[in-house]
Amino acid sequence: MATLGILLAGVLLFVLNLLVGSVTVPFRQFWEVLTGAGDATARTIILEYRLPQAFTALFAGIGLSLSGLLMQTLFRNPLADPSILGISSGASLGVALVVLLTGQLSGMAVSTLPGWSTVGVTIAAFAGAFLVLLLILALSSRLQSMVSLILVGIMIAYIASSVTDVLKFFSQKEDVHTFVIWGFGSFSNVGKPQLWYLGSCILAGGFAAYLLSKSLNLLLLGERYAENLGLRIRRASLLVILVSGFLMAVITAFCGPIAFIGLAVPHLARFTYHTSDHFKLIPATAVIGMDLALLCNLIARLPGFDGNLPINSVTALVGAPIVIYVIFHRQKVLSK
Amino acid sequence: MNEVLRTNGLVIGYEGKALFPAMDVALKQGDHVALIGANGSGKTTLFKTLTGHLKPLQGSVTLCGKPLEDHSANERAKLFSLVLTEKPDDLFLKVYDIVAAGRYPHSGLMARIPKQDEEMIQEKLQLTGVLHLIDRDFVSLSDGEKQKVMIAKALVQDTPIIYMDEPTAFLDYPSKVELMQLIRKIAEEEHKTILYSSHDLELILKHCPLLWVVAKGKPLTVGSPKELLERHIIEHYLSIDNLPL
Repeated sequence: MATLGILLAGVLLFVLNLLVGSVTVPFRQFWEVLTGAGDATARTIILEYRLPQAFTALFAGIGLSLSGLLMQTLFRNPLADPSILGISSGASLGVALVVLLTGQLSGMAVSTLPGWSTVGVTIAAFAGAFLVLLLILALSSRLQSMVSLILVGIMIAYIASSVTDVLKFFSQKEDVHTFVIWGFGSFSNVGKPQLWYLGSCILAGGFAAYLLSKSLNLLLLGERYAENLGLRIRRASLLVILVSGFLMAVITAFCGPIAFIGLAVPHLARFTYHTSDHFKLIPATAVIGMDLALLCNLIARLPGFDGNLPINSVTALVGAPIVIYVIFHRQKVLSK
Repeated sequence: MNEVLRTNGLVIGYEGKALFPAMDVALKQGDHVALIGANGSGKTTLFKTLTGHLKPLQGSVTLCGKPLEDHSANERAKLFSLVLTEKPDDLFLKVYDIVAAGRYPHSGLMARIPKQDEEMIQEKLQLTGVLHLIDRDFVSLSDGEKQKVMIAKALVQDTPIIYMDEPTAFLDYPSKVELMQLIRKIAEEEHKTILYSSHDLELILKHCPLLWVVAKGKPLTVGSPKELLERHIIEHYLSIDNLPL
């Protein structure tokens, strides 16, 4: 029953994402476009802008939520989120290096140059995120406990953001503006051709996450029980970090750092289905993540906001109350 | 009866410092042994060595005829199961989920539970007296109920050996007695070899047929409660002047 509702809501939100925006397309025209006719402007707006954006939101929602679920289970911490290992800070540093440093060296604001496309930013973000992921993987084999790994991840995030701040301080105003806008996050920077890359990466990552369900269920029992039930802890942790980090790196590269979806959605899935079995939780998290990202994107583009609100302010507005609820609920259950 | 565990000149300890002289002990199928000793005497170190968490300083542990380190992670999961003092704390874990995880070493990547395993899960929950809690959230149970669920998990794991780390700690007195009776029943009826540590001396002397007594620097001593009391081993090892028994 809940599943049907979530899927129907997903379809409805997807259609609304195509229908609603700063330019009002009458429903008649909208229907014509969907059936393959309609006027050229409406076709361009819906098929070239809104459709890729809706798909980007959908994929990002799935990926961020699964990435968050994996981190929460691995660290057995309800407040772990995909950024905990410093991967998004790594992406930010990558973008900062490209956007800010090149401007600094050439003495002009790179972001104002013609031909400077989002592709360069995407590659820089992906490189930064992946380097941090590799660093974390290398360190995790030397660290004894998960708590140490969290602390090291947070420190890496600090280092990356402090280098980013230094770069910002010495940069051209226009470049800093470009960088700040990137930091707001957006689902509108992925064109149709890149959508295939994003989509296949998320589907591959999602499938890999599902295959880790048994390991994740065991990790939830605590390391000693997991090991006694035949789980090779180090190998399993490494795979979980790899899959979660990969999803996070891909999404941050294409959409910028997007907060709160990865933190809040796994909780919504647990509460909706009242389960911690990952064979159920992973599909549930994916579809709820999809719904929530589409909802956030819809709110960000509601008429009256004159174009796009920064997606990160919307995800925080929607996600933070969910997290507060979770904290109070935990307290209630645990003090019983 | 089959021998399931043997230590060969086993010396345990940390950082090269031995806790006891070399020990040569064995456990047979259906043995029901309590490990007693003062805090810090090395019970936990012994458990960690027997489960392969800690390498022995000297000697070796043999499980079912093969050295412990030659068993793969999955083989170990089918040889011994654990009941620990720490418990799962995820809010959404059901009693069923935890007990079903006991079948994981016997299942594939997708962790499918066949029908006969489902029956086994029911049966073991019935045996430990918590079948009525099968759909409950684990965190909402009392300490005694949690302990019984973890024992059901160990039985479902279907290993010849079960190690329990202080299973009666944190329980009220009636629950302690009930748990001791349950442990005895499992050893006798399910033919499991059970080694557990405990501080509940009076209950152990009454319910447990065989004891392993440890104290720092002294050889591990094995015997029935009667025998050990007569030889004043327990008073000596635990530094109790007059056992009020």
